[in-house]
Amino acid sequence: MRLFKGSSGVVRVTRGLGQLGYSLPDKPWLVVAWKELVEALRDRRTIVNVILLPAIMMPIFIALPMMIMSPKTVPPRIMVSIQDPEAIEIANYFRELKDVNLTIKVEPVNVTDLIINQGYDLVVEVPQGFYSNVSSGGSGVIYYYYDPYQMRSTLAMSLVQEAINDYSEKVLKRRLEAVNLTEEYISPVQSISVQVTAEGEQVSPGEIMAAMIIPLMVGIIAITGAGTFAIDMIAGERERKTIEALLTAPVKRIEILLGKFTTLTLLSFLSGVSTIVSSLVGVSLMVSPMAVPYDNQTAAMATQIIEPSRLPLFISGVLLTVVLGGLTGNAIMVMAASLAKSFKEAQQYVGFLVMILMVPMIAVPYVPQSLYWLMRLLPIASLAMLARDLIVNPNWTNVLTSLAFTLLYLAVFLVLSSKMFDRESLVFG
Amino acid sequence: MKVLEVVELTKRFGELVAVDGLTFHVDKGDIFGLLGPNGAGKTTTLRMIYGVLRPTRGTVRVMGVDVVRDPVKARSYMGVLPEESSVYPRLTAEENLIYFGKLKGMDEAELRRRVKELLEALDLEEKRYVIADKLSKGQKRKLAFARAVLNKPPLLILDEPTSGVDVMSAREIRSLIRQYAQEGSTIIFSSHNMWEVERLCKTVAIINRGKLQHLGSVEELKRLSESKEFEEVFVKLVKGEVGEAV
Repeated sequence: MRLFKGSSGVVRVTRGLGQLGYSLPDKPWLVVAWKELVEALRDRRTIVNVILLPAIMMPIFIALPMMIMSPKTVPPRIMVSIQDPEAIEIANYFRELKDVNLTIKVEPVNVTDLIINQGYDLVVEVPQGFYSNVSSGGSGVIYYYYDPYQMRSTLAMSLVQEAINDYSEKVLKRRLEAVNLTEEYISPVQSISVQVTAEGEQVSPGEIMAAMIIPLMVGIIAITGAGTFAIDMIAGERERKTIEALLTAPVKRIEILLGKFTTLTLLSFLSGVSTIVSSLVGVSLMVSPMAVPYDNQTAAMATQIIEPSRLPLFISGVLLTVVLGGLTGNAIMVMAASLAKSFKEAQQYVGFLVMILMVPMIAVPYVPQSLYWLMRLLPIASLAMLARDLIVNPNWTNVLTSLAFTLLYLAVFLVLSSKMFDRESLVFG
Repeated sequence: MKVLEVVELTKRFGELVAVDGLTFHVDKGDIFGLLGPNGAGKTTTLRMIYGVLRPTRGTVRVMGVDVVRDPVKARSYMGVLPEESSVYPRLTAEENLIYFGKLKGMDEAELRRRVKELLEALDLEEKRYVIADKLSKGQKRKLAFARAVLNKPPLLILDEPTSGVDVMSAREIRSLIRQYAQEGSTIIFSSHNMWEVERLCKTVAIINRGKLQHLGSVEELKRLSESKEFEEVFVKLVKGEVGEAV
């Protein structure tokens, strides 16, 4: 990148960071960390993987499908064909529909042509005899014609169905009044949903989405870590034939590894914060009135990701899990990279490991509550549970259990990675 | 004074005996040539000396310090240029030296002075702020050499230091090797360039199939093989056309 070095290879922007090396204290781990940071900052993959990818991709993945689907973004095209000239009342209900591109015709239409060739998402047909059926106490039938491959057709149907429900409710009310019955008479049982949370407060849709997505993000950070850099710092160093000279320096291998871990942790922390911030932006967009047609009061609640009084715990919890996740992931990557003879081979090991480790992590949102204790004991899953326990239900017994097992696995992975790094075959494959 | 002492040094890789009971020592100020055909065990021997390979049997002592028991202290007496060593491609020439200088515990003033001195001596001054990826193969090798000699260690281990460098650069490197030996450094040197060995080395060890075949001064080995050209001496000794010199 010209920002960092010209085509001549002369370093300009990051030269100061390089010169800083002269004045570093006599701490080998700090010297190694400095060198790894300088190299990482001159690698365009750092900008792409740590900043651009999370910042751009997460909102796109999370919110874009929802926003594209939203009737506010592109209103669905609906054709209503009223073939019963007496069905004026229901036509008025259709006219009141919001966020739709509606055409009403009082004549039969070519349904196939409208959907296949003219791009209509839905054709609604009100056939002849509809009004007489409804007014005589029977059922009027309405037909939906739609493209089964189009999700927007389903969306259009749900919008139209709301209008039909309103009409149906009004007709039902008239009928009940005519025979002197109440609405309760035909609805002997009603169900009401009440949220139960530790704080006894209602939770916003934004908070629910965040609680589902953040543990997943923490797990992904743990699994992928600063993956490319971890591979580069071990297998890449061997491939470029720099590791042998490095190991002849009068420092302990554990100090070299510690230095590499320091930079890896810094990079995965940046990547983690970038991922989570962009995920929260994605969640905000996803539950915003731009994507979901709320009324104003609901919209204000929906966009609130976290209740302000719980914000400090939320932020510290997320940062803690990101750091622990990064360390865990990097220790695993270092183990895999120490086994490989080349960067490419290391990537294959890492790919295999990622698939295995994804299983318990993805399971976290789906397992029944009765199995949460088990998830708190499993590697990686304990990390996702820690994030969840801190965000959703800060019960300290659960938090401490998840934290204890996360730290235990981290210690195991760090010891194993240090053993792997200490092997003779590290230099020679 | 024995700067390096190797006793019964052996390395097995499974069934293969790469180095088989080597015993020799190198005195202070000596330029010691470790020679042998490809696969003789030279690089394995050097790797055990600088501690990246653990011996199956035997000991290596540098300045009296056992390399296996106290590798960090032993390595503090060494500067190493491994055979296939490269430099960090995204660090500048200067930063490559800063990195190793700091790892060797050099203080800022001394490091600045030596970096300047070596970049000038090896004609790399113009490449000071250039990332190593943009250097030629020879410039990279010179930089790796500078890295090894940065703190003027008592023992320099150079595995084919002039391999892949042009004539002018090779001269610069040889000149520095002589200079360090005159200043009291001890140098172990491996090369396939017999002309270079003849001009640089005081003592030469020839190993073949992991065993020490001949040990002596260049002149002694010439007399033994009754040859004037050192290349011919080497061929005769390796082929076993003359008797033991050890």
